[in-house]
Amino acid sequence: MAAIRRKSNGMKHTLAFWMFVLPSLALFTVFFLIPLVLSIAYSFTDYDGWKTMNFVGLTNFIELFQDKSFYSSLGRTFVYTLFSLPFKVIIPLLIAALVCSDRVAFKSFSRTLIYIPVLLSALVVGITINWMFSTEYGLVNYIITCFNGKPLDWALNQYLATFVISFASNWASTGFYMIIFIGGIKGISNDLYEAAAIDGCNTTQTFFKITVPMLAPTTFLAVLLSTVNLLKEYALVQGITQGGPGDKTTFIIQYIFGQGFNQMRYGYASAISFIVMIIFALIAFVQFKMSNEGGEN
Amino acid sequence: MKKLGLFLIVLAIIALPVFANGQSEQKATGPRTLSVLLSEEPSSGDALSLILDKWAAETGNKVERLVIPYDDQITKFPLMAKNKDLPDLVATTRLTRLYPDEFLDLSTVINMAIFEPQAVAIIGQDYTSNKNLCLPQQFTITNVYYNADAFKKAGIEVPTVDDPWTLDELYANAKLLQEKGGVKYGMAMDASRARYDNMIYMNGGSITVKNGNSFAVNVNSKANVEALEKFIEWNNTVMPKAIWAGGTNDNPADYFKNGDVGIYFSGSWQYNGFYQDIKAFNWGVMPSPVGAKGPSAIMGGSGLAVPANADGKDLAIEFLKWFYEDSANFQEYLNNDKGLSSLKDVTYSPADPKVVADYKVLQSEVAKVSDAFNVDEQSNWRNYYDNEYRDALRQAVYGSVSAKDSLDDFANKLSKKSGWPLAK
Repeated sequence: MAAIRRKSNGMKHTLAFWMFVLPSLALFTVFFLIPLVLSIAYSFTDYDGWKTMNFVGLTNFIELFQDKSFYSSLGRTFVYTLFSLPFKVIIPLLIAALVCSDRVAFKSFSRTLIYIPVLLSALVVGITINWMFSTEYGLVNYIITCFNGKPLDWALNQYLATFVISFASNWASTGFYMIIFIGGIKGISNDLYEAAAIDGCNTTQTFFKITVPMLAPTTFLAVLLSTVNLLKEYALVQGITQGGPGDKTTFIIQYIFGQGFNQMRYGYASAISFIVMIIFALIAFVQFKMSNEGGEN
Repeated sequence: MKKLGLFLIVLAIIALPVFANGQSEQKATGPRTLSVLLSEEPSSGDALSLILDKWAAETGNKVERLVIPYDDQITKFPLMAKNKDLPDLVATTRLTRLYPDEFLDLSTVINMAIFEPQAVAIIGQDYTSNKNLCLPQQFTITNVYYNADAFKKAGIEVPTVDDPWTLDELYANAKLLQEKGGVKYGMAMDASRARYDNMIYMNGGSITVKNGNSFAVNVNSKANVEALEKFIEWNNTVMPKAIWAGGTNDNPADYFKNGDVGIYFSGSWQYNGFYQDIKAFNWGVMPSPVGAKGPSAIMGGSGLAVPANADGKDLAIEFLKWFYEDSANFQEYLNNDKGLSSLKDVTYSPADPKVVADYKVLQSEVAKVSDAFNVDEQSNWRNYYDNEYRDALRQAVYGSVSAKDSLDDFANKLSKKSGWPLAK
C-alpha cells in the first residue's frame, strides 16, 4: 500500500515538474532552439530571404574568415565593450550603495528616478540622446557655447561618437543593475556591518572590505549581463549614429544586420551570427571561470 | 491571493488588445476596409492621406493605414507575403522592382495612356517585362532651394533658368554665403545617393554603362572619382560634413528650415512642407548648376501598387480607378501635393505668384534628366546594392578611405554580385 502511495506521489511530482517546466520549455524551443537550428542551417546556404536557397557548404565560413569588415566590426565591438563595461558595473554599484545608506534622504524617489530610463525603448533613448548631443542643436553643445566654449563634433569624431553611445547605454541600464545590486546589498547580514563597526571600520573600509566582497556573485551576474548586452549593442547605435562617422561605430550586430537585411545575404549573416555566438559564449565561459564560477567557489 | 488577483488583472490588460483585435476582424462585414501601406506617418496636410479619406467618405468604406519606412518595407514585405498578410494597396518606390512577381499588372485595369510617359518609365515600368506594376502617384524631381535673405545679405544674384551657375560658381557662392550671408553652411545636401548622383552625371560619370544587351559597372570611372573628390572638398569646407560622413540622424531639411543653410539640394517633394513651415525668411527654388558635361536632374517618386495575393485587391483597384480616372480627384490630390503631375491632362495651377515662379524653375529641371541616369535606371543596379553605395560614399567623405579606393571597392562588389564586368 505504502509502495503504491509512494508511486502515486512520485507521478504527481513528475506531473507537477512538467507542468512548471513545459511553458518555459515551449517558449525556449519556439523562440530560441528553432531559430538557432534554422540559423545554423541557413549558414550553409545562400539563402536570400526570399526564394533562393542552395546548399553552399562552407563557402560562407571561408568568406567570413577572409572578410576584413567582419574583423574590424568585431574589434570595434570588443573595444566598445571594454570601454563601457567598468561604467556599467561600477556606477550602479555605487548608486546602489548610496541609496541603501541610512544617511541618504529621498531614497525611494531617487531609485524611481534612476530606474525610469530602463522603461524607455531604445528608440526613445536614441531620440533623447540625440537631443542632448546633436552637434548643431544639442543641449550639451548649447551649454558649452554659453560658457564661450567651442562646440564639440559629437557626430564627426569617432571617439566622441562611441562615447555618446556608451553614455546612452549606461544611462538606460544603470537603474536595472542598481536594482540587482540593491538586492545583493540587502542580502548581506547586518551582523557583519555591526562587527565591522565594533572593530572601528570607517564607511570606506566597510564598503571595500565587506560590501564589495560579499557582492561577488551579484557583481559577476552584472558583469556577465553587461558584457553580453554591450557585445550585442544594436538599437542604440542605429538610433544615435547609424554606425557613423564612416563605419567607426558599426559594431558586429549592425554588420550582421547589414549583411542579412540590407544585402539580403541571410546565409552569410547566419554564418557570422553562428561564429559570433561561439565567441560570445567563450567570453562568458572565461568570465565564469575567472570569477570562480560566479562566486560559488 | 492579492498577488494572484493583481497578476490576473495584468494578464487581462495584456490580453485585451488581442481579443479586441479578433473581435474587430469578425465584425468587418459592413463597410469594406482598404489597408494601405505607407512609408511615413502622414502629416495633417498629406495629399495621399487626404484623398484616401475623401474616397472613404464618398464610398462609405474605411481606410486602414500601415506605416513602414521605405528601407524597412524591403525586408518586411517578403515576410508579409510569406505570411499571407499583405496590405491591399502599397505606396512604394522600390518594392515592385524587387518583387515583381508579387504585384498585379495594373495596365490591365487602368488605361496607361492617361499618364505622363516619363513618370511611367521612371516609377512604374518593370524593365524586365512590359508590365506596369506601379502607377505613378507622387512624381518628383531633384531641385535646389535657396535662402533668399542670405543671398541678399551676401549680395549674390539668384541664377536664372537661362543662365544657371557652373559647379565652380556654385562653390564660390556657397563660400560667400557662409562668409557674408549670415548662414552657418553655404550649402547642404540630403544624405541620399540620388542627390549626390547628379554630380556624377554632371561630370560625365554614371553607375553603369550599356554593354551589348547587358551592362558594365562604371561607378569607379575617372569622372566618378573626380566628382567624389569634389564632393569631399565641398563637405570639408561649405557643407555640414556630419550629414554625409554619418554619425548623426540630423535632417539637412531642418537646417535649411532653421535658416542655417544658404543653398539646399533636395527635391520637389519638400516644396509643400517648406511652403507651410518656413515663415521666418524668404526662400525660393533656383535652377540646378551645370557641370563639365552638362546639367543633371533625377526623376523619381512613389507609386501605388496592388499585391497580387492581397485579400482586398479588388477594393484597391476600385480606389485606383476612382483616383486616376476621375480627373477631379487627381486634381484635388495634386493641389494638396503641390507637386509635378503624373497625368497628362491634369496640371497644378497655383494662385500664389511665388509658387508660379518656383514651378517654372521646377519644370525646367525635368529637361535636365540625363541619358546616363536612364541607363542606370534600366540596369536596376540598386537591386544588387543600394545602401552600400551610400556607405561607400560616406566612408570617403569621412576620410577613412580615398575616393578612388572607396569606389573601386564598391565597383568590385557590384560587379561580383551582378555578374557585370567592370567597364574599361
